Amino acid sequence: MEIPTETQPEVESLNKLMKKTLVSVVLAGVALALYRSFALMPGYQGLNLGLSNYIIESGLKDTGSLNLITAVLYDYRAFDSLGESTVIFGAVSGIVLILSRKMLPVSSKGLSFIVKRTLGIMTPFIALFGLYIMSHGHLTPGGGFQGGVILAAISIIFSIVYGSAFDYRRYSPQTKTALETGGALTFLGLGLAGILMEGAFLQNLGFLTAETGTLISAGSIPYINIGVGFKVGAGLAIIFYSMIQKTFEEDF
Amino acid sequence: MTIRLIAAYLLMGTGAAFAVVTVLGLLRFPDVYTRMHAAAVVLTMSAVLVTMGTAIYVWDFFLSAKIILIGIFFLFSNPMATHAIARASYKREIALPREYEIDAYSDYLGRDV
Repeated sequence: MEIPTETQPEVESLNKLMKKTLVSVVLAGVALALYRSFALMPGYQGLNLGLSNYIIESGLKDTGSLNLITAVLYDYRAFDSLGESTVIFGAVSGIVLILSRKMLPVSSKGLSFIVKRTLGIMTPFIALFGLYIMSHGHLTPGGGFQGGVILAAISIIFSIVYGSAFDYRRYSPQTKTALETGGALTFLGLGLAGILMEGAFLQNLGFLTAETGTLISAGSIPYINIGVGFKVGAGLAIIFYSMIQKTFEEDF
Repeated sequence: MTIRLIAAYLLMGTGAAFAVVTVLGLLRFPDVYTRMHAAAVVLTMSAVLVTMGTAIYVWDFFLSAKIILIGIFFLFSNPMATHAIARASYKREIALPREYEIDAYSDYLGRDV
């Protein structure tokens, strides 16, 4: 009986020491890797000489995207965009965890007949505009985030104008969750395809490039745009849907 | 070409005049609903006239078509928005008309205001 009580703290302290050593080694390795990649960055050379000038000069040649902001967001800095969409995912998860108490909220009857008819005419065009903004992100101003917000507006219109039960029937939270996960998986899958085919995570896929200015060009940028768009739209719709519970009980 | 520019400026100027009318109405009308009635002028007439004038001014097929689409969107959405705001503020009794002899919508709702 006494021997285990003697040896148990020793083993535990040894385990702790090993854990600390392992953590220190891993942290030192990560710090070294970060330092090595930071040392690769060119120094500050003034506003007209540095990285911004390089992007303006050869961004179109490198990425094939006419919209240089999209070129920066989804090619040069795609890893950062992945982090941003992860932030949105975290916000959606937190809000749903805190606010959601039951799946089907109390629904209103919606607004008047005039508003319902008018939005019935207008909503398909809003959806078309959102899809246009998403798919033409590499050609015109816009991109995944903006188009996704427009798609989320459709769900918000359904909730307010037709009542949230209509929104639930049309696009249930399960559908929205599937869309959001599908968008995130598209992004990650294109990143892994970059590892397999080009050698770096989220590298622009070379075999997808085409003539500059056409719809299917610019490597993997349009597909990342579409994935991010569905992810952001579904995420914002989920946030709105979990926030309206017991808010619109009376009809206006 | 000059006739086209004159027409464009005429349409845009008419839209600006309707905007001035709206400001006058917002300043002079007594309560919420009449002010909303004045504000609907700038939402519908002024925006549509200015978009029509801009479409004639640029005079390029796709650009003009896009601007006219924006104008049609205004024409659909703005009266509907005014209607929704007025109806909501009446039904939720945010601001009720007090100085009118006839209030048909109140009778329709079965409410004795």
